[in-house]
Amino acid sequence: MEVQGESWLTTKLEPFVDWAQKNSFWPLPFGTACCAIEFMGTVSSHYDMSRFGYEVVRFSPRQSDLMIVAGTITDKMAPVLKRIYDQMPDPKWVVSMGACACSGGFYRAYHVMQGIDEIIPVDIYVPGCPPSPEGLMYGILQIKEKIDRERKASRRGGKRKGEHAA
Amino acid sequence: MTELEARPEALQLPGVQDHPKEVRPRPMSLGERLYLPLLAGMTVTLRHFFQNIFRTRERVTIQYPEERRDYSHRYRGHHILTTRPDGSVRCVACFLCATACPADCIHIEAGEHHDVNVEKYPVVYEIDMLRCVFCGYCVDACPEEAIIMSNNYDMAFYSRSQSIVGKEDLMKPFTFDPGKLGYRPRFPEEEEKRAAMRREAFDLVAAAKAKGEPQSRVAAG
Amino acid sequence: MPPEAAVALDPAAAIAAGFPEGSVVPQEGPGAPTDQPTWVVRREVLRDLCRALRDNPKTRFDLLLDVCGVDYPEREERFESVYHLYSMPRGRRLRLKVPVAEGDARIPSVVPVWKGADWFEREVYDMFGVVFEDHPNLRRILTHDGFQGHALRKDYDPARRWILTEDKIYMPKLVAPPGRSDSMFERMTINIGPSHPAMHGTFRFVAMVDGEEIVASEVEIGYLHRCMEKMSETHTWQQVIPYTDRLNYCSSFINNVAYCRTVEKLLGVEVPPKAVWARTILSEFSRVMDHCVANGSSLVDTGALTNFWYFFQVREEIYGLLEAVCGARLTVSACRIGGLLADLPPDFVARCRRLLEFIPPLIDDVEKLIDKNRIWIDRSVGIAAISGEDAVNWSWTGPCLRASGVAYDVRKAHPYDLYDTVDWQVPVLYGGDTYDRYKVRMLEIRQSLSIIRQLLDRGMPEGPFVVDDPHVALPSKEACYNQMESMIYHFKLIMDGIQVPPGETYLMTEGANGELGFYVVSDGSGKPYRLHVRAPCFPIFSTFSDLMRGHSISDAIATLGGLNVIAGELER
Ligand code: SF4
Ligand code: SF4
Ligand code: SF4
Repeated sequence: MEVQGESWLTTKLEPFVDWAQKNSFWPLPFGTACCAIEFMGTVSSHYDMSRFGYEVVRFSPRQSDLMIVAGTITDKMAPVLKRIYDQMPDPKWVVSMGACACSGGFYRAYHVMQGIDEIIPVDIYVPGCPPSPEGLMYGILQIKEKIDRERKASRRGGKRKGEHAA
Repeated sequence: MTELEARPEALQLPGVQDHPKEVRPRPMSLGERLYLPLLAGMTVTLRHFFQNIFRTRERVTIQYPEERRDYSHRYRGHHILTTRPDGSVRCVACFLCATACPADCIHIEAGEHHDVNVEKYPVVYEIDMLRCVFCGYCVDACPEEAIIMSNNYDMAFYSRSQSIVGKEDLMKPFTFDPGKLGYRPRFPEEEEKRAAMRREAFDLVAAAKAKGEPQSRVAAG
Repeated sequence: MPPEAAVALDPAAAIAAGFPEGSVVPQEGPGAPTDQPTWVVRREVLRDLCRALRDNPKTRFDLLLDVCGVDYPEREERFESVYHLYSMPRGRRLRLKVPVAEGDARIPSVVPVWKGADWFEREVYDMFGVVFEDHPNLRRILTHDGFQGHALRKDYDPARRWILTEDKIYMPKLVAPPGRSDSMFERMTINIGPSHPAMHGTFRFVAMVDGEEIVASEVEIGYLHRCMEKMSETHTWQQVIPYTDRLNYCSSFINNVAYCRTVEKLLGVEVPPKAVWARTILSEFSRVMDHCVANGSSLVDTGALTNFWYFFQVREEIYGLLEAVCGARLTVSACRIGGLLADLPPDFVARCRRLLEFIPPLIDDVEKLIDKNRIWIDRSVGIAAISGEDAVNWSWTGPCLRASGVAYDVRKAHPYDLYDTVDWQVPVLYGGDTYDRYKVRMLEIRQSLSIIRQLLDRGMPEGPFVVDDPHVALPSKEACYNQMESMIYHFKLIMDGIQVPPGETYLMTEGANGELGFYVVSDGSGKPYRLHVRAPCFPIFSTFSDLMRGHSISDAIATLGGLNVIAGELER
């Protein structure tokens, strides 16, 4: 009986949590280079990311659940990125913005990480150099879809994001 | 030599002969001491505030995704491989685009074409979208106008492997909307005839698309 | 030794004559650089020579523009350290080259002569392994501490990476100056950055504070070292243009122009008037854009967010123009060697005029909000002030130097493009502090707009947008389709790249935050042999820890934005 009750509660709660999660990301911009300028463009008046409920740009990893890596990540920066990612609470998502963060772009070079997925998992890759603000928003909106899809998958018995770490 | 020697008049500008040894910070006036100019500042902010509320036409925010910024026809977005009238790919696998690409992200494998007039064609033509820096050098390099760009920026991928876009995707006609063409060979304005042709092609493929072809760039990852 | 007549004419040559035979040899004859006098100097006399050049009232080389290394593996003295000097009062330039052999790569440091040499020498050490004797802090600057080898040596594989492990992360050991007797606080070391919004994401600032006051500090950079200089050695001359975009990404167009001008000079190409006209206009718009970011971010760092939105509106509108010209908003790649990438759009002039109407009210609004705002005044007046003399010694250029009372501007001193045909002023202020740096930028925005207005009034010149030389610029597509000859040139140009004749040159352009110089060496192959960027913010930022002594942490944050340090350019 009790087991049933608990699962009733969680199934009712889950859609709500998902709804809340996907409509109010607290992004942490990890901006290093040119892409960060376009990120600023995305949050300023012309594009205004807050229309999607993502306005609480947090520079503190402990309070954010969406990391937007905007810019080239060098080998010198890599340990910092990893540490910050580890400090974010679960569940968390990562958007890799721009060619450099995704793959190193045209810097096939001695000091540039060839894609941040060498050290942290990435949910959405947004191509472009830099991606236009629309492109970035499109990418972030894909995360919403991804959450939806994960929920469906979890109904079918799959794992939900963040559960492995819980 | 002009670059070597500075213009004599430039040498007479302040500070050039004798660099100031001291700094002279800006003095503060009485009004400023009393924080009075803050009020003037406040009127500026309020003016903007009310303008945004009442003069809706002048609002700067773009309501993406419903509304889109009006990009020019030179926008360097997702690539398109153009086709011949019979629908085959125009590219002749000459590797010029791959040579010109600074990111080295175009991968071509050439094959012999059955038509003797066309020497070669690309069996494989892939662009790694995540490497591409959208510089447009491939477009400049192509002698066949076989690769052009669209102003489609709605791209996102769930995985690295998904980002390697092959021939079919690059030829995918939905980007062929004449209004969505981007950077392409240096023709300042679209010629009428060309535009008409593109529109026709677009209608044809739009009809094909209506038969149910997936549209989204992002496939299930 | 220089001939007698030259000695009599040129005071610099007279100084050189005072040194032992063979230790200062002017490079002359075929193969020697033609852009500015170049002397090959033995390292033993380097420091004395530099001091003499700086102090002699007849030469007064007071500004050390740049130090960079070049590697010639086939030479016996493999490494060459190249110094670019500028005498601001006399408006002359001079290049010194100090060759050293691999086993004995030691050069006396010139930091005692010009403080600005500090980071430049560290960079040469990092990239080539040349040791600078008596340097105060000679360690790697751009690469990380787990890095092995010296990346810009010709035998270093461009893709060879080293992974930085946690235990190798550098921790500065700050030495406390002797304690003040009246201090009641314990000394504390604070680390800010690199991933800290106030440090703009890529700088690390470690400060020792006594209460609120910074008593010692160190800046660590290199978190965005993207190996641009090495990359350009592996790409053709045209392919380097997209890399230059990403140097100072707030005003990428100016970088394009600066690079293309340098290569054009090596090639001896004359750019058509239409391209020159458009380059000048777009450079000025880019400058406006860059000043908007610099001022906007320095104001945001002090809490004034509203201005940032206004500034970004300006930027967005200029992006629109740039995008219409070249198809990209930020990383424009809009220049080609010999001109522009495409013809100007038909509504170019109308668009520019609309911008000229749109921008000034927003700039006015910012000034109304900020200029007399006591909160901002308190945060900026007298903060991080530097006198003109010190700033020159630290190799400053650009708006930051002009805020310290020295009106040096490349556009005035060595006019290029159309700057000598328009009427404009160089704004100077004398506070040398964060406030005046902000104010100089605001004044410059207005000057830029006035330059643009004058050029628009003159009307767009007719003619091609790129040189009609198939060895330099791609032939038009129409020609390609219709003429075999053009097609062959097209193929050749793409396959082999532009063939730049052997030689070397340094060319300066007024970037948005100072003298942006490109020093390029060509060996006649299709790729640059060496390309060095004299990044204006590099020496400016090297002053940072010195500037901050005696100020508080919050001042440091307010200062950083005002210096306009752009990581892409700083670390390349
Ligand atoms: S992807 Fe392009 S724009 Fe973004 S950081 Fe890299 S080089 Fe800069
Ligand atoms: S746009 Fe540039 S980077 Fe992208 S495929 Fe074309 S040439 Fe390569
Ligand atoms: S340059 Fe054009 S024709 Fe040649 S391989 Fe590339 S796309 Fe095909």
